Parts: sequence; C-alpha cells; structure tokens
Amino acid sequence: MGRQHGKKIWSIMALSAVIAFLLLPVATSLNALAGGGGETPPAPVAKAEGDKKGEAKVEKGRDVYYKTEGIVSGAPAPKTVDGPKDYPRYNFESRVLLWFANQQHLYYGSFVLAVPIFCMIIEFMGVVTKDKAMAKKYDQLAYDFVKISLTAYSLTAILGGILIFTFLTLYPAFFGYLSSIFRPVMHIYALMFVAESGTLYIYYYGWDKMKEGLLKWIHLSMSVILNVIGTVLMMLANSWIGFMMSPAGVDEQGRFLGNIWHVIHTALWNPLNVHRILGNMAFGGGVVAAYAAYRFLSAKTDEERAHYDWMGYIAMAIAVAFLIPLPFAGYWLMREVYAYRQQMGITLMGGLLAWLFIIQATMIGILFLSTNYYLWQALGRMRGAEKYQRYIKYLVFVLVVGFLVFITPHTIVMTPAELKAMGGQQHPVLGNYGVMSAKNGGINVIITTTVLSFIWYMRGNKEPMVPWKNFGNIFMGAFFGMAYVNIIWLAIYGYYIPANVRVGLSVPQVASTLSCLFFMTALNGVMLKGAKQMGPIEWGKISARSQYAIIMLATAFTWMMGLMGYIRSSVRLFWHVNEIMRDNSPWAYTHTVGFAANMISFNVLFFWISILFVFFLATLGAKKAPVEAKAHAPGRVPEPAHGH
Amino acid sequence: MIFTNPMFWFALLGIGVALLFVGKKMNLLNNTAYAALVSVVIVVAYFHLVDHYLMEMQGLDYWYLFRK
Repeated sequence: MGRQHGKKIWSIMALSAVIAFLLLPVATSLNALAGGGGETPPAPVAKAEGDKKGEAKVEKGRDVYYKTEGIVSGAPAPKTVDGPKDYPRYNFESRVLLWFANQQHLYYGSFVLAVPIFCMIIEFMGVVTKDKAMAKKYDQLAYDFVKISLTAYSLTAILGGILIFTFLTLYPAFFGYLSSIFRPVMHIYALMFVAESGTLYIYYYGWDKMKEGLLKWIHLSMSVILNVIGTVLMMLANSWIGFMMSPAGVDEQGRFLGNIWHVIHTALWNPLNVHRILGNMAFGGGVVAAYAAYRFLSAKTDEERAHYDWMGYIAMAIAVAFLIPLPFAGYWLMREVYAYRQQMGITLMGGLLAWLFIIQATMIGILFLSTNYYLWQALGRMRGAEKYQRYIKYLVFVLVVGFLVFITPHTIVMTPAELKAMGGQQHPVLGNYGVMSAKNGGINVIITTTVLSFIWYMRGNKEPMVPWKNFGNIFMGAFFGMAYVNIIWLAIYGYYIPANVRVGLSVPQVASTLSCLFFMTALNGVMLKGAKQMGPIEWGKISARSQYAIIMLATAFTWMMGLMGYIRSSVRLFWHVNEIMRDNSPWAYTHTVGFAANMISFNVLFFWISILFVFFLATLGAKKAPVEAKAHAPGRVPEPAHGH
Repeated sequence: MIFTNPMFWFALLGIGVALLFVGKKMNLLNNTAYAALVSVVIVVAYFHLVDHYLMEMQGLDYWYLFRK
C-alpha cells in the first residue's frame, strides 16, 4: 500500500516536472513575445539618444502582407551571388542533397508525430472500455505502436541534425537569414524538442509502472502532453515554410519589423497546419498498417496472424479516417494559395507544375482504390458478408469511372503531327474531363464510394434488429443515391455557368460527401445497436492480397508526400523567400518531371529500406508475446475484437 | 420559379419529416413503397438546401442558370 502510494507521488511529481518543463519555454519567451521579438530593437534606443540630441531617427517599414507599420529590427535579406561564400558546394547539386535530407527528416518527423496520437487514442479506448480482455489488447497495441516510434524518434533527431548541417554547409546565407528572422522562437523550438524527448521516454519506460488506477490516467495524460508538444513543434516548423512561401512580418527588403506573430502567422500557415496534421496521421497510420502487414505476412502461427491482422485493421482505419478529409484540406490550402497570389496558384495547377498534379491525382486514386480493395478483402473474414460480394463489381465500375475522370489531363504534350490529327491541344471528348468541375465530381464520387464500402464492412457480419430496419436501409440507399446524383449534377452544372459561380460548387459537392460520411455512419451505428451477429470476425483469415494492398497504400502515400512536398517547395521558383530573397544558386530552376519523379522514388525507397530496419529492431524485443498468448489459450485462435 | 426559393425545399423537407412521423404512428415504415417515398422526399429536399445555402454562404447564387 505504502509502496503504491509512493509510486503515485513519484508519478505526480514526474508529471508536474514535465508540465513545468513544457511551460518553461513559454515563460521564458513571454517577455520576448510581448516585445514582439526576442531581442531589444535597437531603434528605440537610437530614438532615445536621438531625442536627447533633437534628431529623432526611427526607421519604420511596412509589412509586406499585413500592411502595418513596424520598427525595423533586423537586417535586410542578403543579396546572394553564385560563389563559395553564399553557395559553397561539393561536386554535386546542393539542392538535391538538401532535398534528400529534408525529405527523410520530414518522413520520420511525420511518423513520430502521428504515432503518439494513435497511442493516445488507443490507450484511451483501453482505459474506458469495460471489457477487460479488450482493454488489455488495446493497451498492448498502443504499447506496440509507441515501441515502433521510439527507434524512429532517434532517427528523426539524427536526420534533423543532418538537415541543419546540410543547410549550414550548403546554404549558409539563406539559413542565416531565416534564423535571424525566427530567432525569437528558435529556442522555444529547441526546448520543445527536449521536452518532447523527455516526455516520450517517460511515457514509454513508465508504461508498466503506471498501468492501473490513477497512475494509468496520469500516464494517459502524459500522452496528451506529448501530443501537444509534438503539434506545437510541427506548427513552428510549418511557420518556416509558410514564411518562405508567403512571407509576412518583414518589409519589402526582408527586414524584420519586430512582430514575431506576424512572421509565424502567414497567409498559408493555418491551411498548412491542418493539411499536415491530417497528412501525418494518414501517413503514420499507413506506415503502422504496413508494419502490421509485414508481420502478418511473416507470421508463423495463427495467433500472430490474428494479432497483426487486427493491428493492421486498426491502423488502416485510422489512416482512412484522416485520408478522407485530406483532399478537402488540400483544397483549402490551394484556395488560400490562389487568394494569396493568383499567379502562384496558376503555376501550381494550370502552369509549370500542373502535370505533377495529374500524377498526384493518380496517386490519390490509387490510395482510395487500395483502401476499397482492402475493405472488400476484409469482408472475407466475416460470416454473413457474402451478401455484399456480388455488388462489389458495381462499386469497382463507379470507382474506375471516377478515377479516370479524376486523372484526365486538360491538355497533353504532343508532337505537331499528333496535334494536327487531334485538331488542337485538347481532345474533343476527353478534354472536357480535364477541368476542375469534372475532377471535383470524380474525387467526390470516389470518396463517397469509399464511405459506402466502409459501411458495408461495418455491417458485414451483422443483421440490424431495430424495428424500423426496412426504412433505415431504404433511407440509407436513397441518401447515397441522391448524394451521387447531386455530386454528378453539380459537376455537369459547372459547365453551364460562369467561372466565378462555378468555383463555389465544390463546397456543396464536398458537403454531399461529408453528409454521407457523418450522417450515414451515425445512422448505421444506430441501426447496428443490438444487431444479430452472423458469426465472429475471424481475425487472421484474410487473403495475403489484402496485406499487399496495405503495403501499396503506405507506399503510395509516401510517394505522394514526396511529390506534394516537391510541388509546394518548387512553386517558389527562383526565390528562397518568395519575392524577398532571391535564389542565385545555379540550381534555381525547376527540374523536369522525370528527374523529380526519380528523386521522389529514391527518397521513398530510402525511407522504406530504413523503416524496414526500424521494424526489424521492433521485432527483436517482441518475441515473447505470442508465446505468452499460446500459454493462456492453447490451440485457439484469439479474437482480438468482435466489434469494430 | 418556385423551386428557386429555399422555402419551397424547407416545405418539402417538412412534408417528408411529417410523413415520417405519420408512417411511424401508422406502422407504415416497413412498407417499401411508403419508405421509399418518404426517403426520396427528405433527401431531395435536404440536398437542394445544402446546395442553396452553401452557395449563398459564399455570396453566390446556386440558381444562377435558372434565373438568367
């Protein structure tokens, strides 16, 4: 009893220490933020001295974005020249080296930011569930997740170090300027990183010691702290890229005007934050699902297969839950890009980089096709799900049509002879599908179909028993049917109205899809309360093909992240900081699509080879679990979950 | 045109919901034809309202083509 009490006190003290540590950077920076910077601007001093002498000299500048006036508190952006001083180099393209370091850091950073969020959700599910066996399984799953992320966390830190050294070595002038602008918050970033490391290690190593009662809640609350720190870190990092794309808080010469919030809160910061959080979650879910698939495929026993099938399903469900709203967040980001600089938007989606968006559309289509394929395969492990199998071919048809419309380019690269034969740059029929109106219709049809597949999966082995089930089924059918009609109608309607009205049609299209997602999932949940089970979910009895679909999903996601990162970065063209600091290195040009694709593929390959090593490390410490499971239930295939 | 007025769709939605309650009271909801009728009335009205108000929120006219 006394020992338990002591443990509690120590846990509370540890948690308090973590919170205090977390608040430390905020406390230390309060003065800095209040002053709008982290340094005392020299100008007021000069003014005070100037007043004495009767010659006040306070230089003021106008914020390039907020249009407010501020006291100049920093040096102008350096005007670089191509040479060893501003652009020292090895006998290699510096940009490619930086690209590699940046991308790898970002992959691992995304992964280690996402996985603790899953842990938090799954650990919470374990704490609140009344079924003790399930609670234990959820807890074990959360622990498995954090174990994978721990090794990845070390790699993230190492890659972050490599990235900084790459910047300092190859782009010292640019990195010096960026550091000078963000100086007031640089130490917050560093301290946050230390706080996150500390919290993560306590969270991981304290798992067994804090597994019951109040201690478990304290442990769970530590995961909340961990995720708050992780999110703040990500948002700070996003503020740098936001500043590079849409600078604010500086005058037209790039001089800091004393308000660090303006520098952080640029036009694209919030859309980037939302897009990245969702993207990280979907990516992290995909990678963990791929880990589970890898373990499933290499499993030797039914117990292992059952466990990793379940783990893959949970990770996949999380990935898909965040994948569905991701295109909408992307749409918001693009809308803000257009609002910030129309030319930037045109370069992205209608000009130099437009072909990359066609590749992106293909990747998005692959993501959704893989997801649907996995769900259809997963129906096979449920008795009673056969009733849906015969309808899958119709879903395939709808998905393929939506996909083909979504990936159709507006114009294609042609030889003069081909151009002449076709009668213009645009194909007389297919060219009509190359506009946003059709593409919005295509992607919304794909997402709505994915929601439908998910609902079928949810009720695969269940028979609703509510007295109004007939009406419920018909209403659900009518709702989905009308959603499809509305989405396609709005896509067609867009061809007949002016562009300024047409652009707004995407919002009701999205709302139609989201209505299906939220209302129909909720209705389905209500209908399945007290439903008759046709049979248990036979975990582990799923085709190997489904696991390859998971691996494909994760790989496609990794590739798409690399692609979109490249697009977002390339849109600055020959600017380090858009319209403020010019890139005068020999590599200030846009690569060909082929080169970019090869580079992205190399990054993806490197990431997957290195993460396989991380997976391998995770297996070294996990040999005991199946043996224990066997001892408790000899000869029986465990069923980790009967519900969803 | 009456259908360009959101009140028309609100009225239709109201009729659909009223039919739903009537059907529940008279045990008609398990009648496929009745259930289909109620469902179609509700969802058609709902999606038109979604289209109308989400365009209006952006300062745009959903019924642009029908008014011109």
